[in-house]
Amino acid sequence: MVWRNSATGYGAISRILHWSMMVLIVGMLILGTKIADMQPSLANLYLYGVHKTAGFGVLLLTLIRVVWHRISPPPPPIGVPRALTNRLARLVHGLIYLCLIAIPISGWIASSATGLDVLLFDRIPLPAIAPVSEMWERGGFLAHGLLTKALMALLAAHILGAMLRGIKQDGTTERMIGG
Amino acid sequence: MRRTMIVICLILTQGTALAAPATYVLEPENSTVGFETDFGTDKITGRMPVSRADLTLDFDKVAASKISVDLNVAGAEASFLFAAQALKGPKVLDAATYPTMSFQSTRVRAVADGAEVQGVLTIRGIAKPVTMQAEIFRQKGYLDGDLSHLTIRLRGAVNRSDFGATGWSDMVGDQVRLDILARIARVD
Repeated sequence: MVWRNSATGYGAISRILHWSMMVLIVGMLILGTKIADMQPSLANLYLYGVHKTAGFGVLLLTLIRVVWHRISPPPPPIGVPRALTNRLARLVHGLIYLCLIAIPISGWIASSATGLDVLLFDRIPLPAIAPVSEMWERGGFLAHGLLTKALMALLAAHILGAMLRGIKQDGTTERMIGG
Repeated sequence: MRRTMIVICLILTQGTALAAPATYVLEPENSTVGFETDFGTDKITGRMPVSRADLTLDFDKVAASKISVDLNVAGAEASFLFAAQALKGPKVLDAATYPTMSFQSTRVRAVADGAEVQGVLTIRGIAKPVTMQAEIFRQKGYLDGDLSHLTIRLRGAVNRSDFGATGWSDMVGDQVRLDILARIARVD
């Protein structure tokens, strides 16, 4: 198995990161939507902890992926690099990365601003990164919600682009699955 | 335990001639201030330590009785971690700014099943009148007529929004039910 990316294909590490993050992000979008609508009770209180832990996981995996792509750059897009579709894909990818960093951080800020501990696995406290303040709390949760909706739209665009490339059979989808 | 105690509130209502006003001190290790509020379909329960209590009880003239209690907000505990943090945080009791809650009686009167204590409750620096129902018991292990060690149970309810403690109102109920069990010893 080839771990590093090459000039033409994705290595195992990039592919594992991509697909594991996909599973985590889809799960988080479902969980986050449920949490936003649910009436909290003792029976479902743990879901907040799961959400915060998984959100921190998304942030960590995104940062690992960014660092990994500096160490082992991904292959350039298939086709003419300056083609509109490739330029759009690059823009969408960049915005998705921004959202994957900004959404957990905005949630962390908002949670810190409530004055409650942000715990990983219900045990490990994360440091507060915002003052206890209603303004920070409201702003943080507002940004968290808006950025999540933006991420949903970007992911829809990303999946649509991947499907179009799959229909065209240009090899993009294949190299993210099989390297 | 209640079964083992003689309800001394009978004394209050029967007008039995007893001693003049007596001063009592709190036995803090045996006293609790319990509270309960709604959390969705569940309840949040908790306790708050009593930091000071001045009690003067007059079994001859109930109206001359006085109760003054301070509670240590920072020492509050709740049935789960986040509830305790939320309770002490700035959106509810704001323990950092207002470390003490206090109750000062203004009127005590005997009623059929005990006593009614009217007073002023101060939370977050906001003072509001409240009425608590009181029962007084002789503590287990003390003989009939021995009023040296008593247990006072005070029960009542407040709306936290009256005191500006409005945090998490979408999740947690407004009414907070109080159940104070104070064990006291007479200063001879």
